[in-house]
Amino acid sequence: MPFLNRRSLLAGGGLVAAAPALSGCAGLTQRVSATTAGRRDLLSVQVYGTDVEAKIYDELARRFEQTRRGVTVDLVSVPFSEASVGIDTGLASGTAPDVFRVDYPTMGVYASADQLLDVGDALDDLSGDLSEAFLGAVSHDDRVYGMPQHVDTSALVYRPDVLRDAGITAVPDRPEDAWSWDELADVADRLTDAAPDGSSAFGVNWQALGAFRWLNFLFQAGGHVYSDDLTRADLDSPEGRRALEFTASFFERGWVPGSTSTKAATYPDALFTSGTLAMLYAGNFLLPAFAETIKDRFEYAVTYLPRDRRRASELGGNALVASRTATNPDLAAEFLAFMGEADQMQAFCEAAVLLPTRTSLLDQQLDFAVAADLMPVFADQVTTIEDRDVADVTTATFAEVNLALANELEQCFLGGRSVEDTLAALDEQVSESAALNVEDGAR
Amino acid sequence: MSAPTVERPADRDVSSEVRGRAPAPSRGGSLTAYAMVAPNLLLIVVFLLVPLVWALVMSFQAKRSFGPGRWTGLDNLTRLVGDDVFWRALLNTGIFTVATVPLSVGLGLALALLMDRALPGRGVFRTIVYLPIAVSTLVTSLVGLLLFDETVGIVNGLLRDAGIGPVSWQTDGRLAMVTVVLMTLWTRVGFGMLVYLAALQDVDGEVMEAAEVDGAGPLARVRHIVVPWLRPTTFFLVVINLIWSFQVFDVVYVMTNGGPGYDTTMLVTYAYDEGFGAARNFGYGATVGLVLFVLTLAVTLVQVWLNRKVEES
Repeated sequence: MPFLNRRSLLAGGGLVAAAPALSGCAGLTQRVSATTAGRRDLLSVQVYGTDVEAKIYDELARRFEQTRRGVTVDLVSVPFSEASVGIDTGLASGTAPDVFRVDYPTMGVYASADQLLDVGDALDDLSGDLSEAFLGAVSHDDRVYGMPQHVDTSALVYRPDVLRDAGITAVPDRPEDAWSWDELADVADRLTDAAPDGSSAFGVNWQALGAFRWLNFLFQAGGHVYSDDLTRADLDSPEGRRALEFTASFFERGWVPGSTSTKAATYPDALFTSGTLAMLYAGNFLLPAFAETIKDRFEYAVTYLPRDRRRASELGGNALVASRTATNPDLAAEFLAFMGEADQMQAFCEAAVLLPTRTSLLDQQLDFAVAADLMPVFADQVTTIEDRDVADVTTATFAEVNLALANELEQCFLGGRSVEDTLAALDEQVSESAALNVEDGAR
Repeated sequence: MSAPTVERPADRDVSSEVRGRAPAPSRGGSLTAYAMVAPNLLLIVVFLLVPLVWALVMSFQAKRSFGPGRWTGLDNLTRLVGDDVFWRALLNTGIFTVATVPLSVGLGLALALLMDRALPGRGVFRTIVYLPIAVSTLVTSLVGLLLFDETVGIVNGLLRDAGIGPVSWQTDGRLAMVTVVLMTLWTRVGFGMLVYLAALQDVDGEVMEAAEVDGAGPLARVRHIVVPWLRPTTFFLVVINLIWSFQVFDVVYVMTNGGPGYDTTMLVTYAYDEGFGAARNFGYGATVGLVLFVLTLAVTLVQVWLNRKVEES
């Protein structure tokens, strides 16, 4: 090796070592999307969710193929955490799937950036059977950009045996009897006193992208994120202070595990199923997983979310939307309309244990695959969602507000920052996003 | 005891004899060489240099996911200078680097020296130490989560059984950083060991024997013969570990998500959150990424310069 001395070798090694550094920067720009656009008779669809949801999506896609001769639906199911990055890059590079699943807060980003197909005409029939809140969740500038396939929300799942052991025998079984915040505090104190080492009274499902569920407490206290016209933040208010003081006390008084804050890397439902939590703020979409993992190890039931000045619950759930650049927009719109028909929506919600958005279905007793006895509580919680709450969480910039909530709330919950400073920081960031809403003409 | 003076074969052969006889490359030979490197060069240009320049361009723009960017001059850089989270991420990355690089290299050398000896079951031990390298870092990070989860983790379970009580691995910022460092070391030590093991095979046995005859003990032999002999290997490992530490992402992303608060937020996780997180702020994310690139390049160049100085002296 006459040309290769040690210095050359080291320089080469340095280059080899530097390559990942360069690629690290490249990671900020290069395409990472694995999505593909469809063709005239091939509809590409991307969804995410549980195995049960993937299965029923597939079943319904095959049902659509049967009604449209010669049409093929190419259905791809991806993990939730990868979905938005793939869609973003797909939209930017023109390879987005024709139809994709998206949660309501994220949908505002795509709709305001003019990335979605206006499907108002195709969904005319469905629109007449939706409440204002659900229609508002998929609308932007008075145009309908998606099919609100289902809604989900939170309720308080609890273990009757643990509550009984702590001397709590009465749990609300009617909406009007829902615990007040003070009553919840009393229950939490008693559960904490009786809890064995390593166990806690309850956990809240506000981790990561679920940070917006803290707004349940804000809404319950009578507060809101934005002013009525959505042009400025309204978090630094007496209601905001009350909500933050109450939720910060969860950590101060040891009611919830410290590892269940808003930036936690894990979700508290694993703690509930492992038996270390007596109660859990949980979404109905978790019920199939609870049935699967808890089996008959212990009994669990559901009660209504505690209330303050009013009852409130978050607008969770997902819509199906079509890309503005879908190869065959008519076919994409037809697919959304098909999935929004009562039969398909009912089949999907019953299999995946989710709540339908059609008013006619919400009024019916659906035959859920599991935990049918627990679903009426969640169905009732959905009725507490007000139009004004929906407006708060479907602005074009709500995704950024959600991130700010995760970051700033944790500073208060675990970092020892005061309620006042946290509210001021949140208010500032939300105001910045509100200014963007005004620029964007989002509302 | 005086340290034995060692003349390394590499110095004698390459620097004095071979280098002097290097023939001048012919024109045809150069063309062949360029043709041989062209495919790699093309890949580097397309997938590394073009995105790098693109990132540089975006760092001067207000650029979101969709639509064209808007030129904003130095706005992103100005925001960066006044961004507390960026400085916190920079500090965290520095702390993480200082904690992981010396330990990865030092423990790698210690294990290599141990495994180089005729131990019973040496192959098994080598495999065990090297195994985390063969497994995805995502998987090892999930193992870390399983170990250090405050409520249901294995470590706290053992501590609780021992009556020591649970430790706040996830809610105490300093301890969260410790867990991230520990899991990183677990995945890196095996690599250092393997590289050092290969390099140890080149250590001249006669020199070692001579030193032993001269009365040098095991520690003296390691300090005065083995460590100087392995200096090029150590340099390589330091550089590559520095770059890996600056680029740490997956272990943080999985184990702590940058928390509690911003206590384990690193430059790469921050750049990712800004660029691909809810904010979708490509311009600012690219700015953070470029700062990381410049830092990595600067530290590597300093290392190269230092190594050259030592070699020349």
